[in-house]
Amino acid sequence: MNKRSDRKMVEVKGLHKSFGELEVLKGIDLSVAEGEVVVIIGPSGSGKSTLLRCINFLEKNQSGEICIDGQLIEHGGGHINKMRQNVGMVFQHFNLFPHMTVLQNVSEGPIQVRKMSKRHAVTMAEELLDKVGLADKKNEYPAMLSGGQKQRVAIARALAMQPKVMLFDEPTSALDPELVGEVLAVMKELAREGMTMLVVTHEMGFAREVADRVIFMDDAAIVEQGIPEDVFDNPKNERTQAFLGQIL
Amino acid sequence: MVYDLSIVVEKFPIFIPAAVQTLKITAASIVFGVIIGLVVAFGRISKCKLFYFPATLYITVIRGTPILLQLFIVYFGLAEIVRLDPFPSAVIAFGTHNGAYIAEIFRGAIKSIDIGQMEAARSLGMTQFQAMRRIILPQALKRAIPPLGNQFIIATKDSSLASAISVRELLLKSQQLGSSTYRFMEYFIIAGIYYLIITTILGYLVHRLERRLAVSDRL
Repeated sequence: MNKRSDRKMVEVKGLHKSFGELEVLKGIDLSVAEGEVVVIIGPSGSGKSTLLRCINFLEKNQSGEICIDGQLIEHGGGHINKMRQNVGMVFQHFNLFPHMTVLQNVSEGPIQVRKMSKRHAVTMAEELLDKVGLADKKNEYPAMLSGGQKQRVAIARALAMQPKVMLFDEPTSALDPELVGEVLAVMKELAREGMTMLVVTHEMGFAREVADRVIFMDDAAIVEQGIPEDVFDNPKNERTQAFLGQIL
Repeated sequence: MVYDLSIVVEKFPIFIPAAVQTLKITAASIVFGVIIGLVVAFGRISKCKLFYFPATLYITVIRGTPILLQLFIVYFGLAEIVRLDPFPSAVIAFGTHNGAYIAEIFRGAIKSIDIGQMEAARSLGMTQFQAMRRIILPQALKRAIPPLGNQFIIATKDSSLASAISVRELLLKSQQLGSSTYRFMEYFIIAGIYYLIITTILGYLVHRLERRLAVSDRL
């Protein structure tokens, strides 16, 4: 199945980021084509989450360029807010808004940011909740949901902005094992529909099954990348071998 | 018995105007305090030194000096420049005083909201202002209610200091009646009962508000 196009949805060039003395990204180059699913794996502290957060400007990079859908994003002005409307982000700890119902969580972005009419936003939110299998929970507050349900709401909330790219920052790491499946199922469905996705995860089964490309990061740099079969079955770099040896 | 408790019952109603005065001072200083508190809290969390320093200086000065001194400065000290009546003097002094404490309550409440909430809001494309107004403040205000209730009760009791500049509130009323009849204890008991009634009702209202806003936390 060749769903990729030549259109580059995310393009990162020479991205450097450090927290004080500590360099967490040492010149990352990465591009993600439209419809491509890229999974980033690697040991903790390797910079995978920071890379994702930099792409969404939740962290400020020291140098390097980030383009979303061909547009260079600059600091300051309304650039970042505009860009974020096109980039959905799903967090490890869900970060649902606890004072709002499930439905309000999903419709808030379109109403506040896209200035969509309330009725239109609610209809769309209901459709999205139906899609993630939570239509019956729309009037509940997040406190009443399980972790898996929360994360599915968070995905619906991000999708409500009709993003061009979805970033997933360890979306299943905070979940009980039996709840991981339902979240991955929603993500698989999204991938099948052709969403451009950049996923940081420790779910190797998901990476193998869904990813078009797997990137292995270690020590603040991209060490190896390729199709899942190559990276998982014939890793070339010995650090990749060591990492996969530990977890598989 | 040296004390005549029938006076307490008999004279209880004549304290009503004084109680109203106490309520007025308290209400006005709470309203001013909340407004000042909100503005100063934003100054305190601002990264801009132009806002941060004045806010911090204000809190340091107000919290570091006695409230009675602040009242005297407004009423006697400022008299050279502007001669204010006792009542507005009390409201200005107490409002400013409460503002410093309420600012710290708001600041703490805002800071206590998980950073992930701001990140999630911003990741949807909200501006800093939208995220503050729609996501952070509603949660922070809810968290601020118990300490705010505390501060309101303190403000009620502190309003008695206005007696020192002759505002005819509960304490002054009881002092005056006491010294003219030598029945100090009886009149002080009356004042005490009024304060208790006010603070108890205030505490109850705050508690009810707290429970009503807790809907989203209920499991």
